[in-house]
Amino acid sequence: MVKEECKALLDALNKVTACYRHMVLTIGGTSDSQNLREELKKTRQKAQELAVANRNKLTTVLKDKTVSKEDKAEFERLWVIFSTCLEILEIDMRRALELGHEFPLNVPKKHLIQTGMSGGTSGVAARAMSVQNMKYEAERNIDVMDLKDLENEINQVGEMMYEMEMKVNVPQWTVEAKQDPGAELKSTISVGASSIGMISVEENKSFCDISKVLAGIVFSAVLIIAIVLAVCVVKLS
Amino acid sequence: MTIGGPRGRHPRLQMPCLRKMERMIVSMQDPDMGIKMRNQRLLITVIPHAMTGNDIVEWLIQKYGISEEEALHLGNLIVKHGYIYPLRDPRSLVLRADESPYRFQTPYFWTSTKWPATELDYAIYLAKKNIRKQGDLIEHEKDNYNLLHKRINHTWDFVVMQAREQLRAAKQRRKGDRIVIDCQEQAFWLVNRPPPGAPNVLEQGPERRNCHTTRVQLNMDYYKREIEYCRKAMARTRVKSSICLEGYIKFNEQYVPHDPIMSGCLPSNPWITDDTTYWVMNAPTVTTPTKLRVERWGFNFSELIMDPLGRAQLLEFLKKEFSAENLSFWEACEELRYGEQSRIAEIVDSIYQQFLAPGATRWVNIDSKTMERTLEGIKTPHRYVMDDAQMHIYMLMKKDSYPRFLKSDLYKNLLAEAIIPPETKKRVFPFMRKQRHSSPSPALLLPAGDAEERGRSPSTAPVPEEES
Repeated sequence: MVKEECKALLDALNKVTACYRHMVLTIGGTSDSQNLREELKKTRQKAQELAVANRNKLTTVLKDKTVSKEDKAEFERLWVIFSTCLEILEIDMRRALELGHEFPLNVPKKHLIQTGMSGGTSGVAARAMSVQNMKYEAERNIDVMDLKDLENEINQVGEMMYEMEMKVNVPQWTVEAKQDPGAELKSTISVGASSIGMISVEENKSFCDISKVLAGIVFSAVLIIAIVLAVCVVKLS
Repeated sequence: MTIGGPRGRHPRLQMPCLRKMERMIVSMQDPDMGIKMRNQRLLITVIPHAMTGNDIVEWLIQKYGISEEEALHLGNLIVKHGYIYPLRDPRSLVLRADESPYRFQTPYFWTSTKWPATELDYAIYLAKKNIRKQGDLIEHEKDNYNLLHKRINHTWDFVVMQAREQLRAAKQRRKGDRIVIDCQEQAFWLVNRPPPGAPNVLEQGPERRNCHTTRVQLNMDYYKREIEYCRKAMARTRVKSSICLEGYIKFNEQYVPHDPIMSGCLPSNPWITDDTTYWVMNAPTVTTPTKLRVERWGFNFSELIMDPLGRAQLLEFLKKEFSAENLSFWEACEELRYGEQSRIAEIVDSIYQQFLAPGATRWVNIDSKTMERTLEGIKTPHRYVMDDAQMHIYMLMKKDSYPRFLKSDLYKNLLAEAIIPPETKKRVFPFMRKQRHSSPSPALLLPAGDAEERGRSPSTAPVPEEES
């Protein structure tokens, strides 16, 4: 029960971290916008809440003396995963701050790097916040105003990590990974909800892609013409 | 803008050349003055913001007013450092000044010494690639993957989790953007973890100056030091380069016939013909020296005295002139300078007894001032106490005895008797010539697959090398 809860919380944090990194990738590029900055803010706040929840849960469990040895090893493994996740989150937050300073949006001569990205990141943000659609309600110059909050939050996360290191005594090198090299492949094939599987499923779903429909029509037209020509040739000969 | 966390991480700085490149990239984005963008067509998807190599080179020529060669070189540097990546041949980070397409890298993936690429990130990237390619990674990536699995084993579960989640997050974007992100990541890791054999652009040699160490405070002390340094530099004696170069040319002209590479060596080059006669004939002590060697003794005094054979002949000559003690004294001083530390007091004492004491058997003629200084120095003997006296005697021999030596009959006889080795006859049939073979590689002498043993017993390694 406790283990499942911890795992669920950790998975949630992992998901939000991945989405956050994906969004930080797009700062400074052509799909950068005020919306993106707002998404970043909301995502990282959610990440922080999840991080605090994770920490509280895991620290109570690790302090609990009545836990069995295997359970304790399992919780230590989860703890190591949690602290690594938090490290990545902190680094991404720092980079977001630096990039935010370098690429302000409301300047007369915008110099966003033309990276070739044209779409938005609302899908990613929706996934992070676990909502269907994102609502945007921030002011126009959130890109500048948010930076101060970001700095404070970075300091908070830094302090939390420091506390964690000092108070919880889990030596990282004693934890052994459960997965062998190449484990990600095995489970993807077996579970079926694999990333490759999802790619093909998604592509079938994208009927609204007009270019794909057009290509299908053109191909079928060519096929029909070829069949007609073949029939004519057969008839004439 | 440096945030030192509570754990007191000292802030790293971006390498200055990278900062300059970043500024250049930003100026390329200017809607009016920047590079003109085109669209990249991939079957059905159209991705904007592609440019040709030609565009880049022309923009550089126009913006900085440089030649095409320089623009190409500059563009190449930018591509090598990962700010622009090629779209058609992603593994070769070269700028081609033709129609090949390129695209800008997103700022997160800019090469940075401030945010170095971590092992964790690389592991996540490899795991993602593993999933996408169903296990079909390139050789060196497979090796790195296994290595990382061992090294960061404690967070490997996190790596797998994060890789899966990042792929799922990317799926929320358009197909075109997904392709761009993949290309960006691939280009980033090509720069930060180059395949074996490719040059690593982020390698900084040990002598490379750190931006921390060369930072100076521009205060009064600094300027005072600079002024002092410039004053001393102005007062230095200088030689005109025309005179320097004349001297240099003369030296080369004099030595060119003696250089085995420039003028060939007789009888034959041992490295080519495997015939070691050349070395045997020019050994430090032979009965009959070669003619070239004897001629070299006439160039300057140091050639004569540094050649063991020449020194012996000089001794003979000086004995006839009853000034052999000079050379003996000089040799004894050399022994002091380059000898053992423990024997210094002993050697100094013997030199004093033999050469410097009043009424010594082989008393050398040094002027009074130098003698006073040397006798003072002998009270606290060290390696260099005899330097002044040795230099005085050396100059004496050089100015006095050496010219006479060159004019003497002894030297003239040596010149006459010196041999010119005949050139080995080239064999008529080239395939009869002795085959060149290199000595066996030490690696082959050790049994194969013995890598661990080699590490455990390093003492065995030198032995096979000696045998070969």
